[in-house]
Amino acid sequence: MKLVVGIVKPFKLDDVKAALQDFGVQGMTVTEVQGFGRQRGHTEVYRGAEYTVDFVPKVKLEVLVDDDDAARVAEKIVEVARTGKIGDGKVWILPVEGLIRIRTGEAGSDAL
Amino acid sequence: MRDARTALLADPAVRGRAFGLALSDAVDAALVEAFGEVDESGALALVALGSYARRELCPGSDIDVLLVHNLRGRGSADAVRSTTEQLWYPLWDAGFVTGHGARTVKESIALADDDLDALTALLDVRVIAGERDLAEELERKVRDLAARRRGRVLPVLADAADLRRQRPGAIAEMLEPDLKEGAGGLRDVQSFEWAGWALGAPGGCSTLLERDFLTADDLARVEAGRELLLDIRVALQRITNSRSDRLALQEQDAVAAQLGFASADALVHDLARAAREIGWIAGDVWSRIRDTLDRPGAKGAQVDQAVADGVWLRDGRVHIDADPDGSIPPLRTLEAACAAAESDVRFDRTSLTRLRATGEPTWDVWQRAGFVRLLRSGAHAVPVFEALDHEGVLARLLPEWEHVRSRPQRNAYHRYTVDRHLLEAVAQCARLLDAGDAGFVRGREVDVEAVVARACRRPELLLLSALLHDIAKGMPGDHSEVGEATADRIVRRMGFDSEAREIVPWLVRNHLLMAEVATRRDLSDASVADNVAAACAGDAERLRLLYLLTIGDSKATGPAAWSPSKAALVRDLFVKAAAAIERGEAKAVAADRRDALRERLGEDRAGIFLTRLPEQYVLAFDVDTMCMHESLLSESPTVRCERVDGGQVVITVVAGDRPGLLVTLAGALTVCGLDVLEASLFGTTDGHALDVFRGADPFGRVADDDGARVTQTIERALAGEVDLAVRVDERRRAYEGITKRSSPVVRIDVKSDESETDTVVEVHADDDIGLLYRLASAFTELSLDVRIAKVATLGSRVVDVFYVRDSGARKIDDPDAVARLRATLVDRMTG
Repeated sequence: MKLVVGIVKPFKLDDVKAALQDFGVQGMTVTEVQGFGRQRGHTEVYRGAEYTVDFVPKVKLEVLVDDDDAARVAEKIVEVARTGKIGDGKVWILPVEGLIRIRTGEAGSDAL
Repeated sequence: MRDARTALLADPAVRGRAFGLALSDAVDAALVEAFGEVDESGALALVALGSYARRELCPGSDIDVLLVHNLRGRGSADAVRSTTEQLWYPLWDAGFVTGHGARTVKESIALADDDLDALTALLDVRVIAGERDLAEELERKVRDLAARRRGRVLPVLADAADLRRQRPGAIAEMLEPDLKEGAGGLRDVQSFEWAGWALGAPGGCSTLLERDFLTADDLARVEAGRELLLDIRVALQRITNSRSDRLALQEQDAVAAQLGFASADALVHDLARAAREIGWIAGDVWSRIRDTLDRPGAKGAQVDQAVADGVWLRDGRVHIDADPDGSIPPLRTLEAACAAAESDVRFDRTSLTRLRATGEPTWDVWQRAGFVRLLRSGAHAVPVFEALDHEGVLARLLPEWEHVRSRPQRNAYHRYTVDRHLLEAVAQCARLLDAGDAGFVRGREVDVEAVVARACRRPELLLLSALLHDIAKGMPGDHSEVGEATADRIVRRMGFDSEAREIVPWLVRNHLLMAEVATRRDLSDASVADNVAAACAGDAERLRLLYLLTIGDSKATGPAAWSPSKAALVRDLFVKAAAAIERGEAKAVAADRRDALRERLGEDRAGIFLTRLPEQYVLAFDVDTMCMHESLLSESPTVRCERVDGGQVVITVVAGDRPGLLVTLAGALTVCGLDVLEASLFGTTDGHALDVFRGADPFGRVADDDGARVTQTIERALAGEVDLAVRVDERRRAYEGITKRSSPVVRIDVKSDESETDTVVEVHADDDIGLLYRLASAFTELSLDVRIAKVATLGSRVVDVFYVRDSGARKIDDPDAVARLRATLVDRMTG
């Protein structure tokens, strides 16, 4: 089992969620986060005065998948979340050692 | 008894209090029978404590009993215990959890003196069987003790009531309320009784009534609330078969069905209303009890302080007079409310009841102003509004409030009931306006929210919209649309001006717009911001009010609704939309100026002139200056030097455009000792350059000789007769060390998307001698053509914007070239 984690632009969340559901993913966890990459934020000017934005708002989503599906789920996220402009985000894959569904006690792939 | 218990549990028609009575009776009967078989040696009394004594047993309740005896010595106490153990068997067999003990009266009192929980448990004492006298002795002594220890007991109870508001929190605000310990729940009701006993005879709520801590009306509301709470608690424990007092979401439907409510929504609505009333009354009663503790009997010790006609402050409370006929003019009510909010004090209780006689508002200018002032007072207005609502006054000022009163929102996202949410939104918006009043630059950081608040022309419309934005949540239909019509009606009724009648309903209609767009749309797409600007009909004031309303509404919703993440997105959208509006305004200004120019110069001349210059030119200068430029252009090359207001100079240069022109001019100006504050450079279509510099003249060069020397220097530089690099460097070194500078903070932005024809380079840096010269040299070195430049100085910071093209007269597309440009610029500026 794998945990696929993606950091995407906030407005892309609905699209990614729809695409993953079409793919067959049953659930996901979503968090609002802030971050920066090489872009390093930017400066805005309002009424002649600058204010610096160091952290840019993003959305983190986490999806538990079977080993076989991990690569394709990651690709799907990349495909849907890409705008081509700076700040599109990243996707990474983590191994999962154990998984249990609390209500039923199902474990492993049964709990996906 | 087990059968009796099972039967009662199984019959859902036996609700709340009836259940409690029936079950208590059953337990009483069993205990009396068991007691009859006990071999008594000495006096023994069996008494009930806690909820069993109050006969408010719920399916999950413990049975608390106490065996009171008057035997001395531990041996006898043990003997009592062993002979009476058999009393408990029927209870255990029936599945009750019992709390039992055997103590003398003296021991019980000693325990109660030590432990408040023991004391309050004993305050509800009821004899079940045995020696009546012994039981009555206990009852009497406990109540005496409570009254004697009033100074200790009351503050602890008051603190506990306050704490319940935090943990577990108000019933009306919880998604899964705790019926017993939640604020506005059963504990609050019980605490009244205990407070009554602590204050003395006759005890319980009667004492509170007698001493004017509680009005008869409030007591009736408390009783009604208690009935409902018991009903729900019994039904809940019956359904879940547990002792929990938490009305979990998944149980709410079943409980509502058993109690005959139309739906879980209706159940929660009634519960919220009852709990809020109890909670409000508890807050009121405890604050007044605390007052007597702090200032026992000090009535009239302080001087009355007049606030308005018929309104005054006394002893830290707001008092209000009725007119001879018993009614109160609405303006007086509003002024009293403002006084209460602004001074953060409560109403005197009698005055508060008197407020029910407030007349119908006529909404003249004074009443409107009073209402707005109340909204503006911020967080302290919330309890004032709740007090007014408690007495039905708010409904008179705003009849539509009925729909939202105590209306729960029933999801984890919204913490408050709708009415409370609206009041909190007003308070948050008032806080934003306060920040605007306070000032908004912290070091180099700018608080955009405060800047916007400061800039609002009609802040009162923000407060009105905050109050009304969810007013239609109790009505059928989409709450934004219905809200618009409702707000329109309200604003009209209150007699606000035509601009208010346009803006407030519009704000109510669109109050979710910015939050939705900011989180769901790609903000780097220019059309998104344009659409928001269009939704605001190009009105910057609407955008500002909408932005602040978005923030206030979100902050008043719940912890999940606003985060630094969301704030950043909404702020970004605001800035972009504001820029879009400015561009739109700019277009209008440009059009006006073009028209004016045509009038002055005639169609042909104006037409030719305007086509020679880029679009941005028209925005940079007024009509008079443009006419002057027009005549200068025919005299190219030429330099004009003028002094203007404020001790500054304006130098206009018209010359044949060529690479390096900017370098030359910038260098010449530096050599002349002029400090370039602003520069606007334009290249004409027929190869001329129109460059206008505004500068400071610290050494009075221009003043001395009317600019002759400056003009000469520029002309010589243009002719190539001045070695600018050397001279500029000389000046720099001459002033080095005199002006100490920390390492300069430099920002360079290269934007390829701003313009279709040029690459826009934005440079932010600290002002420095020859800065413009060095930047211009960098461009020339890289064979870049500066077509338009805008130099602006803000304090010690300089913001220079250059529109550049490469030698092929195109935007710079190659990322390597961009990188080289940045590197060169940075190098030039820090070198």
